[in-house]
Amino acid sequence: MLDLGWAFWPLVLFVFTLVIGIISPVSGVGGGVLYVPLATVLTPFNVDFIRGAGLVMAVTSALSSVPYLIRIGLANIRLFAVIAPIMVITSVVGGIVGLWITNAFPNGEDYIKILLGVVILIVFFIMMVSKRVEFPEVKDEDVDSWSKKLDIVGAWYEPSLRRVVEYKIKNLPLAIVTFGVIGFIAGMFGLGAGWANVPVLNLIMGAPIKVATATSMFIITANAPAIGIYLSKGAILPVIVVPSILGITIGARIGAKIAEIIRPTFVRWLVIGILFLAGILNIIKGLQGLGVIPLILPGG
Amino acid sequence: MRKGEREIHVDSMGLLFARIMTISTIIGVVLMVIPSIIYFIGQNQYVPLTEAYKYWDKPTVQFWSHVKGIHIHGYDWVFSNLQYSDCQSMIGVLLLMITPLLSMFAAILKAPKVFKLLLGLAAVEFIISMMVKGA
Repeated sequence: MLDLGWAFWPLVLFVFTLVIGIISPVSGVGGGVLYVPLATVLTPFNVDFIRGAGLVMAVTSALSSVPYLIRIGLANIRLFAVIAPIMVITSVVGGIVGLWITNAFPNGEDYIKILLGVVILIVFFIMMVSKRVEFPEVKDEDVDSWSKKLDIVGAWYEPSLRRVVEYKIKNLPLAIVTFGVIGFIAGMFGLGAGWANVPVLNLIMGAPIKVATATSMFIITANAPAIGIYLSKGAILPVIVVPSILGITIGARIGAKIAEIIRPTFVRWLVIGILFLAGILNIIKGLQGLGVIPLILPGG
Repeated sequence: MRKGEREIHVDSMGLLFARIMTISTIIGVVLMVIPSIIYFIGQNQYVPLTEAYKYWDKPTVQFWSHVKGIHIHGYDWVFSNLQYSDCQSMIGVLLLMITPLLSMFAAILKAPKVFKLLLGLAAVEFIISMMVKGA
């Protein structure tokens, strides 16, 4: 028999991730970036377990969608092969640093919450100011020498234009450094990295927005070794991970259908608002845990 | 290619990568979910759910200290306790973790020379990363 005592929060987590799963495809915001900060504030689970579940969730979602995106030409394995060696290392270092801070300092968890809140507010700012370019123009003279040598080009059939769209990229060396920083942050907070990958691929490298989104999912799979850091510290529990993965998987299927009929702009602004709130709440929880401010929110 | 779509060229290394990733992900999710269902109905629990419930608000070190009286470091807690359903479900998580690695190995077989090197480098880093047990 199920004892609702322990079953209550996993069920809440399932419903919560179901909603996130529905919102993600509609808004274009990855599930991890909503899951970690909100679950940290709204559920009693320790931030270590939430970060571990967030990472497993982000990687599983990416693993499920990337094969199809490769086959239709939207996810580019040449780009992945260049970026993956950087992100593999930095995401693991980020995971180690995050767990070390939580466990080595008496108030480590509170510092992580404050840092998480700050990162979420930065994501909020990026989402506010970044403008997506559907089909950026990259001239032959703009293509950097590394991209030329590696022949990083691609093509896909774009139904809205009823033709095959070809693309090339630029600024590869700058992008590699940026992806290193993104990998560190993604590993440290278990956030996934779609929120940052897409602007880098689209605005810095000049990849079309659909290619940027698909290749971003591809790159997220390179964060998979960071799961090992959480697993080897015992920070992955089935009671938290499984309801989360089932919720987001079912929700994403529902969301994909809703995305065809709903106005994405409204949902995008809704998500931006939620992110802002989540960032502020995490900072408040961290500060009250440190005793810097009086108790405003329940749950320390 | 579906009806109405135009022919596009996709790297053969990419196609092989995709195929291996699909197969491995399906197996990984099944291996994770089925033992978890057994765990949730109360069978073969390494960490009793009633105990997890009491301490899941604690950092990992304190959680394991309270629940099992142990300090977790590495993957031994999984492999030494495979008779328990919750540890069995971690095998699925491990498979999901190494899925990109398996896909990279496969893609190397069909990759041009420079990409053999890059994917090989990523694969080696991947393995090193998995061997790192944290600070």
